[in-house]
Amino acid sequence: MSTAFTLSKEAEEFVKSELKRYETTYSAIIPSLFRVQKEKGWVPPEAVPHLSGIMGIPEAHINEVLYFYTMFNKKPVGKFHVQVCTNISCSMNGGRELANALCKHYNVKDGEISGDGKVTVSRVECLGSCGTAPMMQVNDQYIENLTPELAIKKLKELGA
Amino acid sequence: MEIKLLTEHYSKNEFQGLDGYKKNGGYAVLPKALKMEPKAIIEEVKASGLRGRGGAGFPTGMKWSFLPANNEPRYLLCNADEGEPGTFKDRLMMERAPHQLIEGMIISAFAIGSKKSYIYIRGEYDYSKAVVKKAIDEAYKAGFLGKNILGSGFDHDMDIYSGAGAYICGEETGMISSLEGLKGQPKLKPPFPAVQGYLRKPTIVNNVETLAAVKYIIRDGAAAYKKHGTEKSAGTKLFSVSGNVVKPGNFEVPLGISLKDIIFNICGGLKPGRKLKAVIPGGSSAPVLTEAEAMKVTMDYEALAQMGSMLGSGAIIVIDDSNSMVDILQTTMHFYHHESCGQCTPCREGTGWLSKIMHDILDGHAEVKDIDLAIKISQQMMGKTICALSDAAAMPAISFLQKFRSEFEQHLAKTSHKSGDHHHA
Amino acid sequence: MPKVKINGKEVEVAAGSTIIQAFKASGQEICHYCWHPGLSVAGVCRLCMVQIEGMPKLQIACNTEVKEGMVINNTSPMVKETVQWGLDFHLINHPLDCPICDQAGECGLQDQYMQFGKYDPQMAEAKVKKHKVIDLGPTVVLDSERCILCSRCVRFTDEVSKTNELGIFNRGDRSEIGCVEGKPLNNNYSLNTVDICPVGALTSKDFRFRQRVWYLKEADSICPGCSTGCNVKVSYNEEGLWRIKPRENKEVNGHWMCDTGRDSYKFVNLKARLLAGKIGKRDSWQDVAVADAARSAGLKLRETVEKHGADSVALVLTGQYTNEEYADILKFFTGTLKSKNVYHWLNNPEKVNEFDGLLFRGDRNPNTKGLEAAMKNSGAAAGPTSGKWETLQSQLASKKVKVVLVAGPENQATFPDLNEKIKMLQQAETLVWMTAGHNATLDQAGSETWQIPLKTYIEKAGSFTNFQGKVQSFKAGTTIVPQALTLSEAAMLLSGHDIDWNLRPKGLGGPKTNYSITQRGTL
Repeated sequence: MSTAFTLSKEAEEFVKSELKRYETTYSAIIPSLFRVQKEKGWVPPEAVPHLSGIMGIPEAHINEVLYFYTMFNKKPVGKFHVQVCTNISCSMNGGRELANALCKHYNVKDGEISGDGKVTVSRVECLGSCGTAPMMQVNDQYIENLTPELAIKKLKELGA
Repeated sequence: MEIKLLTEHYSKNEFQGLDGYKKNGGYAVLPKALKMEPKAIIEEVKASGLRGRGGAGFPTGMKWSFLPANNEPRYLLCNADEGEPGTFKDRLMMERAPHQLIEGMIISAFAIGSKKSYIYIRGEYDYSKAVVKKAIDEAYKAGFLGKNILGSGFDHDMDIYSGAGAYICGEETGMISSLEGLKGQPKLKPPFPAVQGYLRKPTIVNNVETLAAVKYIIRDGAAAYKKHGTEKSAGTKLFSVSGNVVKPGNFEVPLGISLKDIIFNICGGLKPGRKLKAVIPGGSSAPVLTEAEAMKVTMDYEALAQMGSMLGSGAIIVIDDSNSMVDILQTTMHFYHHESCGQCTPCREGTGWLSKIMHDILDGHAEVKDIDLAIKISQQMMGKTICALSDAAAMPAISFLQKFRSEFEQHLAKTSHKSGDHHHA
Repeated sequence: MPKVKINGKEVEVAAGSTIIQAFKASGQEICHYCWHPGLSVAGVCRLCMVQIEGMPKLQIACNTEVKEGMVINNTSPMVKETVQWGLDFHLINHPLDCPICDQAGECGLQDQYMQFGKYDPQMAEAKVKKHKVIDLGPTVVLDSERCILCSRCVRFTDEVSKTNELGIFNRGDRSEIGCVEGKPLNNNYSLNTVDICPVGALTSKDFRFRQRVWYLKEADSICPGCSTGCNVKVSYNEEGLWRIKPRENKEVNGHWMCDTGRDSYKFVNLKARLLAGKIGKRDSWQDVAVADAARSAGLKLRETVEKHGADSVALVLTGQYTNEEYADILKFFTGTLKSKNVYHWLNNPEKVNEFDGLLFRGDRNPNTKGLEAAMKNSGAAAGPTSGKWETLQSQLASKKVKVVLVAGPENQATFPDLNEKIKMLQQAETLVWMTAGHNATLDQAGSETWQIPLKTYIEKAGSFTNFQGKVQSFKAGTTIVPQALTLSEAAMLLSGHDIDWNLRPKGLGGPKTNYSITQRGTL
């Protein structure tokens, strides 16, 4: 049996404060899952019963929210989650080529973690940056107006 | 050609913060509005002809007047989920002018008697979330939010809420479900949100641009607002233009401007050597226009509806002749398949089926009869579901396959593998 | 009360009713999966489409309120085409599992498909693959590919059992029903989800792979598992009983029953039953015809009373028999034997008033109230055995009581201290034990014992009075052990009279030698 799932005290305090912030405690599920992801890099399945205990919300309801939304990582990702838009305008402006080039450079398939654990490349849907295509979202940050070379350069600067 | 009504000060970086906003006319309309009768504000908004700028184009004043005359708490929800492919105007508005949105929201909340509002921002807009939250905190400190705003006796609290990656949360009841802590699945209508919305209370859901526009309608009056645009499509609109234009971006123009003007005069036209092939006028859900149609149409609700398409979110995707319509349709169908919430059977299964057929057509594993099958499937997906995502997937499919049928057939003729086995996971 | 026209037929319904309720009231069919009268409206299957005069678009019947004068139809070509396509959408990713699926024969998809006859599937793509044979909990197995995501089961665990174990995870056509690791579907109402699942996505571990439903008949009855008296229907064939499902009764159990009650078919089947009269004691039992056992027991009782008086016999009754049977056995005991020495054997008296909030009650007998009333009517001592066991025990010890006549529990599992009590009663010089099932402790009798096989609740007509005092009648469903007696017939024979053997039901014959009995695998 692996070590039990724990959250930092700050995270648990955050969850408790979110429970009081909205008109219903259920609204705290999304912010709490983000908080777990901030700490662990992803949302491990053990987080669900753990949050359920703190929040007093059935596990199944928390799990439904976890699995409904794209931004929650249900598997571990690399330190830099590189999300490349391949929707309409971005595809028309080299988005797919950008994604392919990044996958090739870091030697990963879509959604996989690179060997050194630093990078995951994912193809995602429209990020609302169509005028500055092609672009990528690295963790929380938008980096726009890219070429494959520029993208790799930026990622290197960030530490990837 | 461009009219900088809402976007007047967007080029100034200071406009983002409270001081810079106030220096440029900010929070000057709020005191005026708080001295009006709430009913008068609703009437002014009605008279202005303002229509929802998020996609549906529903008359805003009329939506507000659907609120029942009871004393249940009302909620104002700002829909900043901006997920319609091609749309990035709300992002601009939140990043450059969060206080403009806040002021518009306080005025709107006062008009409808709402004491609590949320700005539901899509999860990926990290910077917008930070900027808007900071602005809300500044507004509280300055007394524009909280109890007894500017001594008017009106209390109002505002907060942001982050989405977590789901296009369907841009649907008003999907957004309400998400805000309630449930999966962002749309709700059965009736009852409509104005009667029973967030937590079963009367709720008004409006787009970012709509709420920001309210401030200008109250500042200048309905008549001044109506001077822009057409009779049935009054005012200005921010159009997000992308695709194959030389100068993509967000542009505020009067409704009724010709699409030709937008593409060739404002956005610098196409790259050298390219010809216009098609235009998606209102986000990926809007039926595509051929080059001929695009050169004739004006950007207002009526003209586009008459053309068999829609103004939608105002996201214009310009497609030149270097693109394959087959490819673009496949990308679009993949999107709806990914985003369907899964509640209703026709949408859940239909979006998957269409995506697979498009994959097959693109890869050359299909036949001409699959084009007709896809059209039939799309027709059967329309008008049968809880929300319009099913229609939003079906309409582009029908328009692409009908208007560009010869390109699809040629593609099949060129790439057909005749492998016999249809399978695309 | 608004009046509406459905397919030309007028029907009046309560104000606030939806169109689908009007269809039900009118007795007309409408295709649907996700709507259920016992659950909230989901409106997700999109099949209950109707055409309403004056409205251009079709509307769903489950969420549209009827208004006076509405003219509704679901037979026009537009509606038929819509429903046909709606059904096709349900089928495009549905696996062709019918040959191995328990639901076959009572499957919503099969039924609707046959009705709409869309025999030309145009879906040529690979179907979505999902998890199959998922152990959801102690009672239910899930097959996600078969699931049509009607959400009935999720709504059930949220609204009825209020245990919230189930959810629908993922979006779009990747959606799957499931539980979270560590919180399986484990509540006393879990098997209702199997009933309401329109397809074979949720199957009962108890019933899985055991029998094809077209080999089963159904009989209405009342669940004997506790004093609530849920209305049920029992599925049976020549081999015996296979399962129990709830029947709707708005006043008693709504649409549901508990899982515990569903086990109430196991003690009825042949394997558990006493098949012949037995007279004797440990290691020297003699099998006799049932009637002869009853006659000789009756003789023993009557002789004992003659010799030693009415107080030398005792009658112990459990609350698992019908009102009619109590009247007859008490008539024999207090009338013929003229004895008032009657004991009401109530198991777990401290739990009698327990209630789980939904349906299951602590009194594990279907007819406690009926027994109490019958005892009162007959003038025999009334009240449960608490405090009275000592009395009976001392009467046995002092040899004041020589013969004890017992109508033992047919649902032996509900009497956890059954074997202790049997041992106690075996102190009597003579024990006449009437019961449906065999019992190993009884077989170890040290003194003279009669064992008389009785019929179970499903094999007789009668009535139970539930905890509220509501009398519920039922007919005989089927006969598993034709030679067994009802308590009334036993009373006749005990009193020295005969019964009309021509009126008795004939048995079904039991399994034939060449009848294939499916072997169950383990999950």
